[in-house]
Amino acid sequence: MSAPARTPAGAPGHLTGPAGGGIGTDAQRPDGTLKVRGEFAYGSDLWMEDMLWGVTLRSPHPYARIRSIDVGPALAVPGVHAVLTSDDVPGAKAYGLELADQPVLAVDVVRYQGEPVALVAADHPETARAAAARIVVDYEVWEPVTDAIAALGHPRWNAVHEDDAEVTELSRESAHLHPEGNLVRHLKVRTGDPSPTADVVVVNTYEVGMQDQAFLGPESGLAVPAEDGGVELYVATQWLHVDQRQICSALGLPPEQVRLTLAGVGGAFGGREDLSMHVHACLLALRTGRPVKMSYNREESFFGHVHRHPATMRYEHGATRDGDLVYVKAEIYFDGGAYASSTPAVVGNGGTMGIGPYVVPNVHVDCYGAYTNNPPCGAMRGFGSVQTAFAYESQMDALAAALGMDPVELRCRNAMEQGSTAITGQVIDSPAPVVELLRRLEAMPMPDAAPDDLRHMPGGVSNTTHGEGVRRGVGYAVSYKNVAFSEGFDDYSTARVRLEVVGGEPVATVHTAAAEVGQGLVTVEQQIARTELGVDRVVVHPKDTQVGSAGSTSASRQTYVTGGAVKAACEAVRGQVLARAAELTGRPVGELRLFDGAVVGEGLELPLAEVLGDDAVEETLEWRHRPTEAIDPETGQGFAHVQYAFSAHRAVVDVDTELGLVKVVEMACTQDVGKAINPQAVIGQIQGGTAQGLGLAVMEEILIRDGKVQNPSFTDYLIPTILDMPPMRIEVLEYADPHAPYGLRGVGEAPNISSGPAVLAAIRQATGLPLTRVPVRPEHLTGT
Amino acid sequence: MKPFAFARPADAAEAVATVATEPRAVFLAGGTNLVDHLKLGVARPDLVVDVRRLTSREITDTADGGLRIGAAVTNSELAADRRVRERYPVLAQALLAGATGQLRNLATTGGNPLQRTRCVYFQDVSTPCNKREPGSGCSAVGGYTRYHAILGTSAALPDPTAPETCIATHPSDMAVALAVLDAQVQVLGPAGARTIPFAELHRLPGDDPSRDTVLEHGELITAIDLPPLPAGARSAYRKVRDRASYAFALVSVAAVVADGEVRLALGGVAHKPWRASRAEEALRGGPVADDAVRHAMDVELTTAQPQPGVDGGNGFKIPLVTRTVVATVRDLTQETQA
Ligand SMILES: Cc1cc2nc3c(=O)[nH]c(=O)nc-3n(C[C@H](O)[C@H](O)[C@H](O)COP(=O)(O)OP(=O)(O)OC[C@H]3O[C@@H](n4cnc5c(N)ncnc54)[C@H](O)[C@@H]3O)c2cc1C
Ligand code: SF4
Repeated sequence: MSAPARTPAGAPGHLTGPAGGGIGTDAQRPDGTLKVRGEFAYGSDLWMEDMLWGVTLRSPHPYARIRSIDVGPALAVPGVHAVLTSDDVPGAKAYGLELADQPVLAVDVVRYQGEPVALVAADHPETARAAAARIVVDYEVWEPVTDAIAALGHPRWNAVHEDDAEVTELSRESAHLHPEGNLVRHLKVRTGDPSPTADVVVVNTYEVGMQDQAFLGPESGLAVPAEDGGVELYVATQWLHVDQRQICSALGLPPEQVRLTLAGVGGAFGGREDLSMHVHACLLALRTGRPVKMSYNREESFFGHVHRHPATMRYEHGATRDGDLVYVKAEIYFDGGAYASSTPAVVGNGGTMGIGPYVVPNVHVDCYGAYTNNPPCGAMRGFGSVQTAFAYESQMDALAAALGMDPVELRCRNAMEQGSTAITGQVIDSPAPVVELLRRLEAMPMPDAAPDDLRHMPGGVSNTTHGEGVRRGVGYAVSYKNVAFSEGFDDYSTARVRLEVVGGEPVATVHTAAAEVGQGLVTVEQQIARTELGVDRVVVHPKDTQVGSAGSTSASRQTYVTGGAVKAACEAVRGQVLARAAELTGRPVGELRLFDGAVVGEGLELPLAEVLGDDAVEETLEWRHRPTEAIDPETGQGFAHVQYAFSAHRAVVDVDTELGLVKVVEMACTQDVGKAINPQAVIGQIQGGTAQGLGLAVMEEILIRDGKVQNPSFTDYLIPTILDMPPMRIEVLEYADPHAPYGLRGVGEAPNISSGPAVLAAIRQATGLPLTRVPVRPEHLTGT
Repeated sequence: MKPFAFARPADAAEAVATVATEPRAVFLAGGTNLVDHLKLGVARPDLVVDVRRLTSREITDTADGGLRIGAAVTNSELAADRRVRERYPVLAQALLAGATGQLRNLATTGGNPLQRTRCVYFQDVSTPCNKREPGSGCSAVGGYTRYHAILGTSAALPDPTAPETCIATHPSDMAVALAVLDAQVQVLGPAGARTIPFAELHRLPGDDPSRDTVLEHGELITAIDLPPLPAGARSAYRKVRDRASYAFALVSVAAVVADGEVRLALGGVAHKPWRASRAEEALRGGPVADDAVRHAMDVELTTAQPQPGVDGGNGFKIPLVTRTVVATVRDLTQETQA
């Protein structure tokens, strides 16, 4: 593969970082100092002297037919180099992660507000924007379909739940946004008795609003045309190879001619799994023969990525008088918006994880993903489980109340453990310490009863209460999430590891395509190489497509899967080095190991320099976790998931019941991580995930009216500030999963799932209100 | 962003003359509101005149025992001033309840009261809005109304297509405090200097929602005067918002209690900082127990028009603002009695 002719400023370099620290240590991040000092280059910092700026013209309408597009007035603007529409897409006109249903640029119809319609490249971003505004698009505006259930033509609810809401029942009246109808996926889980009865039954309907990933670094990238007719793309993304596949298909180019390098990523949380400006920048660069930079502003970013699916969920729980769960029926609707994105997989997770970490003999789940004209929804941390956890954990509390039982007791009584059977029929074949997670939370000390500092009261420094009208509540919740890709997906990662001696010092270089999005994977890669190869200095090669796919930085999977690949590649390198040393010393390989830059054995210490000389030992290999399988479409049974993550939260809140203000006083979390490869990073994941869950519980929501986003800014879309996020107590458990490298368990998503439901439960306890929708706002709490 | 010319005149008089002669000219102070609007296309001036260095950046004592605040004094400086904190805690608290430290370091005394509504439809140039585009209609009616007005509106469900309809609120916290303090606004205009009582600076939408204030084109705020409060007066600002900091008010209350007299101004409820004079009247001379205050607020809110909306509407503001007032007055009365 040819190297790029020129490298832009802001392209990532090798990360060397502080030396030292194998697995299990708080090794420092190689990018940490750069980030703290403001020297780390993010995607929006990419720069080339002769580059052009690309901008996107987007549809103002959620649903409309395009009668015509006149690009003439834009082309006439001085400084404009190209104006492109779907006619200029040389390859496939549509792309998508799971279904190729999303146009690169709108073809005839726009299906959501903000859908890209045309592109402009100009020598200044303002020129490009002014030119884009002059493109004349003649729209025939249609009435948008904005309700997922209506889109499927279902009655509001299947009254008694006896009949399946069949796919074939799709209403002919409802507008079909796509040729195959509005149903993206219907997942069914059926176990046990189809018509069970129970002593105590609770039925409720829950709603979760649309959450945004709210990453700070907007979508950005720079495409550089290459001499071979191909293109180099530097881009902030989550999965280089799946981007490459889609870009190749849109450009009609082979993979050798579309080379990607990961630019600095300022957060992702799932929002960068789908393409944003990737193909657009490449199209403009190939058309103009010039490097083209595209960088969204904050407002455009809200239209430039998918969001978390809003959900409407009806749950029915039946239990014996003693509190044993007899059955759960659930009907779950995810609004997928205009395009499929990862809706099928979200439906898969939402449905198969949909009753939580409990053992239930009779289960009947219907989980639907629908097309509407709302913004497309797809991957976001927690991926389908965040929504269902609000429902199933609220149900556990409601059931406990109906039974007159303690909510933690009820959970413990029904909790799964290793050896339990999940609703997919899978036997949980690794530790599932749900009871211990809850018991440990219960045993933690409670925060002080009455805070003395205004900042710790509801309303905080707004001075709204000094304690009057304030009621405290405590809530618990547990999460249950599959780790890595499921349902038969060929889930693997590739690692290339080289060991050599540079300037007398042994250096390992790790090269993977796994996206570092802020979570600290580059640190983990270094730690694993240090542990496996016994060297201090580990260089992380820039992430690019010069090495095989690493899969996505999502599903809490990279430490597991790319970590597994790095470990395996290191083992292969180590095997070669030790074989050489064995040859040199005449000792059997089995007696030798790598330690502190040397081959050591009984009475032997042979510096690596002597073993390797000027040679580099390099190995590249693919590593996969054990295979999963597709589930039965009628029953949802099958070995769908390779690993599960469990965490539990206890939330303590103070609610000013007069003004509806909530102060989360403390969040406590217990999580089983199998093995903490970097304990400090684990704590960071738990804190961050907790904050994101808290945000959804009490403030975060993209407001949509008639298919239009009402609050595309960080002034109007609220995320928790440091004053909203309380101190945390965290206990990390390490029960090894025998199937995973080092026994580790994916960490990132679980705390995001249990945090919000715990906060909601605590608010409910403080107020006595049912609260079936999140986010909860002041007016829901004031009794007005 | 639409291109515009930029001018930095030598003094305030020249700035006024420059803006007065160019119909599509605007003043720029800290820029924390105006620059956002330039980017969003909400403001589309031909000329931007930087006045940041042309007005006073000092806080001086006045002969009557009050304070004169230069228009260029930043929100941070004003909130930190010892005289303000001691004599006008309501103002210091209101300022600190607004925006963030970084923004307050830039935002000015002249710019803050003149910031424009945060109505999301006002900021979205693709939707009709009488304030931004006179005569185009009002998208907020029946939309997301949590941040919208309950007082001073024409009807419970105003006609969204009528040119006079606007249910926006004024977002400034500082302005609510200035309203309760009976501040005076010093203005320099093409016709010379004049003084406007702060309570009269902002308008109700009336028949022209595009005008937030009574200032004429080219009129520049040069200073804001605070009259002295009676000895022993207590004052406070309380703000109810969706998160602990960095959010606009759902409702807010500025209150002064002095010599048994109660002064009240409300934020987040109207097109202007709302001086609750009916409630003040109802409380005059009587006891200020909780019940009396609640009753006074009932009187104040008899004309309230809660707006329905896709998010459940904003009727919750009626009890919310009442409860906030009751608690604020209760605390201040206890302070004065202590
Ligand atoms: C994210 C965010 C959050 C915020 N949160 C809050 C909040 O919670 N509470 C709150 O009260 N405010 C809040 N603000 C608003 C902030 O307080 C105002 O933007 C600021 O006070 C405006 O002052 P400025 O000097 O920057 O005005 P500019 O932006 O420079 O000007 C604002 C307007 O006033 C005019 N103008 C300025 N100076 C003069 C003058 N001397 N004479 C005549 N006209 C003049 C300008 O032409 C312009 O129309 C927030 C702002 C942001 C961006
Ligand atoms: S409320 Fe006022 S500012 Fe908002 S859309 Fe209506 S007219 Fe415009």
